[in-house]
Amino acid sequence: MSDAVSNAMTFHPQPAGGEPKPWAFPAPERAQLPNGLTVLHSHRPGQQVVAVEIDIVAPLEAEPAGLDGVATIMARALSEGTDKHDAEEFAAELERCGATLDSHADHPGVRVSLEVPASRLDKALGLLADALRAPAFPDGEVERLVRNRLDEIPHELANPARRAAMALSKELFPADSRMSRPRQGTEETVTRIDAAAVRAFYEAHVRPATATAVIVGDFTGVDLDAALAETLGAWTGSPAEPVKASPITADDTGRVVIVDRPGAVQTQLLIGRIGADRHDRVWPAQVLGTYCLGGTLTSRLDRVLREEKGYTYGVRAFGQVLRSSADGDGAAMLAISGSVDTASTGPALEDLWKVLRTLAAEGLTDAERDVAVQNLVGVAPLKYETAAAVAGTLADQVEQQLPDDYQAQLYVRLARTGTVEATAAAVNAFPVDRLVTVLVGDAAEIEEPVKALGIGEVTVVKG
Amino acid sequence: MPMGHTATEQAGSGGLTATEHRLANGLRVVLSEDHLTPVAAVCLWYDVGSRHEVKGRTGLAHLFEHLMFQGSAQVTGNGHFELVQGAGGSLNGTTSFERTNYFETMPAHQLELALWLEADRMGSLLTALDEESLENQRDVVKNERRQRYDNVPYGTAFEKLTAMAYPEGHPYHHTPIGSMADLDAASLEDARAFFRTYYAPNNAVLSVVGDIDPEQTLAWVEKYFGSIPGHEGKQPPRDGSLPDVIGKELREVVEEDVPSRALMAAYRLPQDGTREADAADLALTVLGGGESSRLYNRLVRRDRTAVAAGFGLLRLAGAPSLGWLDVKTSGGVEVPEIESAVDEELARFAAEGPSPEEMERAQAQLEREWLDRLATAAGRADELCRYAVLFGDPQLALTAVRRVLDITPQEVQEVAAARLRPDNRAVLVYEPTEPTAAEDNDEEADQ
Repeated sequence: MSDAVSNAMTFHPQPAGGEPKPWAFPAPERAQLPNGLTVLHSHRPGQQVVAVEIDIVAPLEAEPAGLDGVATIMARALSEGTDKHDAEEFAAELERCGATLDSHADHPGVRVSLEVPASRLDKALGLLADALRAPAFPDGEVERLVRNRLDEIPHELANPARRAAMALSKELFPADSRMSRPRQGTEETVTRIDAAAVRAFYEAHVRPATATAVIVGDFTGVDLDAALAETLGAWTGSPAEPVKASPITADDTGRVVIVDRPGAVQTQLLIGRIGADRHDRVWPAQVLGTYCLGGTLTSRLDRVLREEKGYTYGVRAFGQVLRSSADGDGAAMLAISGSVDTASTGPALEDLWKVLRTLAAEGLTDAERDVAVQNLVGVAPLKYETAAAVAGTLADQVEQQLPDDYQAQLYVRLARTGTVEATAAAVNAFPVDRLVTVLVGDAAEIEEPVKALGIGEVTVVKG
Repeated sequence: MPMGHTATEQAGSGGLTATEHRLANGLRVVLSEDHLTPVAAVCLWYDVGSRHEVKGRTGLAHLFEHLMFQGSAQVTGNGHFELVQGAGGSLNGTTSFERTNYFETMPAHQLELALWLEADRMGSLLTALDEESLENQRDVVKNERRQRYDNVPYGTAFEKLTAMAYPEGHPYHHTPIGSMADLDAASLEDARAFFRTYYAPNNAVLSVVGDIDPEQTLAWVEKYFGSIPGHEGKQPPRDGSLPDVIGKELREVVEEDVPSRALMAAYRLPQDGTREADAADLALTVLGGGESSRLYNRLVRRDRTAVAAGFGLLRLAGAPSLGWLDVKTSGGVEVPEIESAVDEELARFAAEGPSPEEMERAQAQLEREWLDRLATAAGRADELCRYAVLFGDPQLALTAVRRVLDITPQEVQEVAAARLRPDNRAVLVYEPTEPTAAEDNDEEADQ
């Protein structure tokens, strides 16, 4: 077809890029305060919102039996009053700085994240230090947080993606593993949590000697050493105690669990298993192969499921570290997730498995590998424009016992990874007969078509 | 230093500068130079959104945005995505009531590629657009609608609220995602006509921000976009003006399978670009922003009747803005108890206005939100386009923080008294059809 508008336009050939400008992932400076707190900091000119991340070695596995969720409640309670301010005052003081403070508990530990304009960094660091050093954990506030958490649970269960994640963890990990159970606890366990339990968890695990502070932003005009000495430097605690993590095991026998949602217009898919984490040599190849499989809408899965068939708004494959440590006992969740309209559930899964089988049979192409490397390495300057992005990655590295130059080296290793290695890593990460499939959807509509696919035994549980 | 501003004393333009240019075909161009990191952001706003859609074709602007990624004269299939990602860039497009935007953030040395790609589809999309792309993206968009709205608890609340706050026939009565029936009805000819009407250089603003050479950038813009003919086929959107207040409370009760009761409400607020809109933003922040707001303190901390409570502001330039209240109840608490507490807090605020401490906190929060938006080249590019398209002056982006900090407590009180009233709201109440959370303890045990 022709068009008057396009005919009038002068076309030019596609331009070639210029010379890349040098960019490197920032190398942080590392120091230790007299109280044992490790500090990583990185000056990023122009980043007026400073990001502070605190890593606390308080793994979920350390929660006392029957008290799943106490780490979460403790993390939240840190900002519900200190020796200087009650809960409302503390929130007001933080917001007066234009700051946000978030904290959450995950398998490796508790993470507290502060963001604040550089001009008010001193004051916000003081509040952060108060929260870590002298949380009040008032009975009434802890009780409120417990009730609030109980109120959140039904909202999470109603969310198809969250519900799928919970069901997959329950399937994959043995019942006695903390990883099999919801990170923030269940109604049964959260109900038991009180201020005494929160304080006990705090006393046992929160101390500067095992914590790390990562601080990133534009420090022009900021005396960081002085600010730290007066704030986080005043935090005291007992010496470090080593925590030994138990090995991670998972049953990835190919099978299907349908979480029944009568009338659902879509089926939420979550297909996963566990595999290599960031201490494994295969990690860069796994990142590359996983990207080629399902990193973006031009990857293999979306090429078929979205751009050819229109079954979905998007399906992604990813590797997410569960826990990673220097002694090599870590693991990552390797998964494919997305949602498809109910009627397309069977055909979409059939195509998804076909994509995996084709990948195993024919491998990736050199062109696919090249584009993936160019994207994964090329986007680094964009991805790490903000202080928060840099701080988050540095804090992850610390939490995962990786060297400070890990991310910088990862880019070098990605660039050196070949097509054959990436193929092998992707095929090993997603073997067609070792995948646990969770489907949150209308069982009456999808059970039979899914059974017909032969991707494992199908069970249906209540939604 | 290009971004050598501090958050307090010099808040405002922050040392950022922008230059404005116009090609002969009417394309407006805004450039902002900053060499701190080797990144260049390209942002293109077309002055068309869901408010331009006609009856029976809701969702067309957004569906069309998807078609812009399906190839043009020199770009085959998904080439736009492939080329940008292969160059180490990131990209996307979004559609709102008032505009459609397309953006690429590139490593600085790949800027020219992004400009070439945007020009190719601005000038020649229709040579590649076909029935197959339309059928495919129609299915994708319908799945987007299911995933983001229809298959999520409370997912259609915003759609219901806007449908009440903006009456039948008003250009903002429907949301950009559109209805399933209208998405089904959209034809290839609709898409072609939409492009011919709205996708023209003189109906767009292009901003390029970051580590750029302005002279070279302008030369590339002229080279790639300069020969695309402008045209005057655009239909203005239907008039979006409405009375300042709705005049009576509107109310809808929804019985659905949701996890808890909820009270939501939409208030008509002043149009964006006015001091009153900034005052309204501060009022909503004092009342329902963050965890030291009046509603959070009252409902979540003290009464303990809500699991979450807050206010959001949707700034609109072509119709009254929308203040969105969202409260999810705790346990078995009933909606009337929440509603009377909310009414009490709003009436008290209208009567007494914000305290000096509340003003300080709200201004500090909004200031940080602005700093966050301006922290990336892409964020700055988007804001420059926004002010150029909606208010005719990109420079206003650089002084937006200053305007928020300039608002007085008196103005905040006045807008609250005038607008946050029961006769100016559309209320949406959710009542769960299943037993509520407090009585349904077994579900979690099945995990």
